[in-house]
Amino acid sequence: MAAATLTKGKRRRKSNFGQDNLVGYLFIGPWLIAFFLFTFIPISVSLLLSFTDYNVLANSGDFIGLDNFQRMFFEDRRYWRSVNATVKYVVFSVPLRLVFALAVAMLLNTYRRGVGVYRAAFYAPSIIGGSIAVAVMWREIFGNDGLVNFTLNLLGIEGPNWLGRPETAIWTLIILAAWQFGSPMLIFLAGLKNIPKHLYESAEIDGANSLQRFLRITLPMLTPIIFFNLIMQLISGFMVFTQAFIVTQGRPLDTTLFYALYVYRRAFEQNEMGYASAMAWVMLMVIAVLTAFVFRSSSYWVHYEADEGT
Amino acid sequence: MNRTRVLLILFSIVVLVLPSLSLTAQDMTEVRISWWGSQNRHDRTIATIELYEELNPDIDIVYEFQGWRDHWTKLSTQAAGGELPDIMQHDYARIEEWVANGLLMPLDGYLESGVIDTMNISDSSLAGGMVDGQMYGINLGNNSEVFTLDTDAFAAAGIELPPLDWTWTQFEDIANAINEALGIHGIGVLTSDQLWKSQYMGCCDQWAYAADGMSLGYEDDQPLIDYYNMLLRLQESGGMQSYEDSVARGDQGVEAQLIVTQEAAMAYHWSNQIVAVWTASGEDRNFVMYPIPRPEGGQSQNYIKPSMFFSITSQAEQPDEAAAFIDWFVNSVEANEILAAERGVPISSVVREALLPNLGAAQAEMFNYLGIIEMDNSPIRPADPAAHADVINNVFGPEFVEPVMYGMISPEEAASYLREEANRILGAQ
Repeated sequence: MAAATLTKGKRRRKSNFGQDNLVGYLFIGPWLIAFFLFTFIPISVSLLLSFTDYNVLANSGDFIGLDNFQRMFFEDRRYWRSVNATVKYVVFSVPLRLVFALAVAMLLNTYRRGVGVYRAAFYAPSIIGGSIAVAVMWREIFGNDGLVNFTLNLLGIEGPNWLGRPETAIWTLIILAAWQFGSPMLIFLAGLKNIPKHLYESAEIDGANSLQRFLRITLPMLTPIIFFNLIMQLISGFMVFTQAFIVTQGRPLDTTLFYALYVYRRAFEQNEMGYASAMAWVMLMVIAVLTAFVFRSSSYWVHYEADEGT
Repeated sequence: MNRTRVLLILFSIVVLVLPSLSLTAQDMTEVRISWWGSQNRHDRTIATIELYEELNPDIDIVYEFQGWRDHWTKLSTQAAGGELPDIMQHDYARIEEWVANGLLMPLDGYLESGVIDTMNISDSSLAGGMVDGQMYGINLGNNSEVFTLDTDAFAAAGIELPPLDWTWTQFEDIANAINEALGIHGIGVLTSDQLWKSQYMGCCDQWAYAADGMSLGYEDDQPLIDYYNMLLRLQESGGMQSYEDSVARGDQGVEAQLIVTQEAAMAYHWSNQIVAVWTASGEDRNFVMYPIPRPEGGQSQNYIKPSMFFSITSQAEQPDEAAAFIDWFVNSVEANEILAAERGVPISSVVREALLPNLGAAQAEMFNYLGIIEMDNSPIRPADPAAHADVINNVFGPEFVEPVMYGMISPEEAASYLREEANRILGAQ
């Protein structure tokens, strides 16, 4: 019976194939056009540019083979500082943000009155996430006479110069990232709601405490969601730009000179579009390899309920 | 259902009619202009543009403005896209690079025909805009670097004003004395690349760059090392704001100088910026402008420079109208009454004379100061080489100033690395 409806469905889909497609393409047409014009073509051009010394002001450049990559890896000290800053940022901010997101999602996964308001309130920072306004606010909070130092002062502690010290500046940006946990939190929340209640109930009957329930039920059941969030956050972590651009300008001592910021500097302030394109492509490759690695590793730790169901 | 249809029809009518309404704007000639500056400049320039539009109803001036850094980012991107405005504000440090790339239009024709009238302008005021014997930028005001002193703070601290030819030693003592007496800084950070460029004028009659721009122009690192050792001492004592503090505050423009908020008694900036500084500080404050301190027995480290230019780009669609606007901007008394010498001392003698009787305190002090500098200065050096931005952004700042001021490496080590790297970049142009 099930098999019969399946083949029937298939046949019907086949007969309408052309028309369905046309309507579909019409609907995504505007997006497709914009995608080719503003994403695909520029990306392809940048791949070509990465093998040239194209200068924006001169509007010309010569093919120089792999020179850009040679320069990047072996001659440019600031390049490695930017790699350093970015890796540090990703290594700390991604796990922090995910932990925060999960913790808050679990708090909000209850049926108390007004919980909707809290959900919206916690999500709000992410909507205004990469915005200039938040970055400017962050400057004020961590500034010399900012909120953080004011509070510390009340406690009798003299706060350091957060944004001015090479040891602390990047942490203000990592904390900013952790604070913007809204979108992974929403996804965690949806995941939590999908965990069948009966699992918890039977665990409770068996005498499992809340820590055991979290470790043995919540975490395993959430692994597909963690997996998804991890990949999304990894990618966006490597592309971090606005925060450093506004809050620290890459200073001090290049400790917050994130990769994307350095690419921007080279491309738009130095007009070295060829070199910047090469840097951007290296970043793309690194993100691709990392993502592939996480995907590969997923078979060891991501638990899909459906696998056991069939 | 019906209502939706009615709404749809109404909507399409609006969509169809709207564009035709804007047709009326088409008989106007549109001239695009772009400048960098502070809020004070934006306000004054916009008011001037509105006056011009009033006087010339057929001209529509479309303006864009931004801070220094964004100005160059935006305009170089526009250059690549063939979208440059008709008029752009330009700078002595960049004009050579832009001319070399064919992005600016020579203005000699307009000068000869008198569209841009130079009757009341001295040749020396115009010379800064010449590249390879042709005129590419009209000077918008004469400028020089300045140390501004808050006379009230000096009085409160019981410190006498120094002589005009004060030395770096005197300066250091004063900065420390202010710090001790008032508990504020003597001055904000003095790590600007401008000071590095003119540093060697005082001691050695040299300039940061060689005349051909292919290498550094000074032979001995010692004066630079001595200067940074002084800055380190001042940073330690509080005589100067710490570098760390300036990083934490970020680059917030000339109006955010410490002298404005009375957190310092002196400030270093360009002479034209006194207008913005004084306006932000309040009319009741009292400032006096001093030349850059000089080494013991040395000569003036000040030179007179065109503060900025208006240039017509090679992508301009209305070069004739653009030239007419520049002429009015430079020569009209009415325009300059609004602009109030915020871009430096006007180059037209007629304008200067007309402004004199009604000068505000800031402008009067600036005119007076430029008079002092004219008596005693070092000659202006060639415009910066094309690789200047690369040297400053990638070597001078991150490899020299920052590691030295954070105490990561010694000034000796940093100065020799600066020499090595800058020479490599300059030589490869």
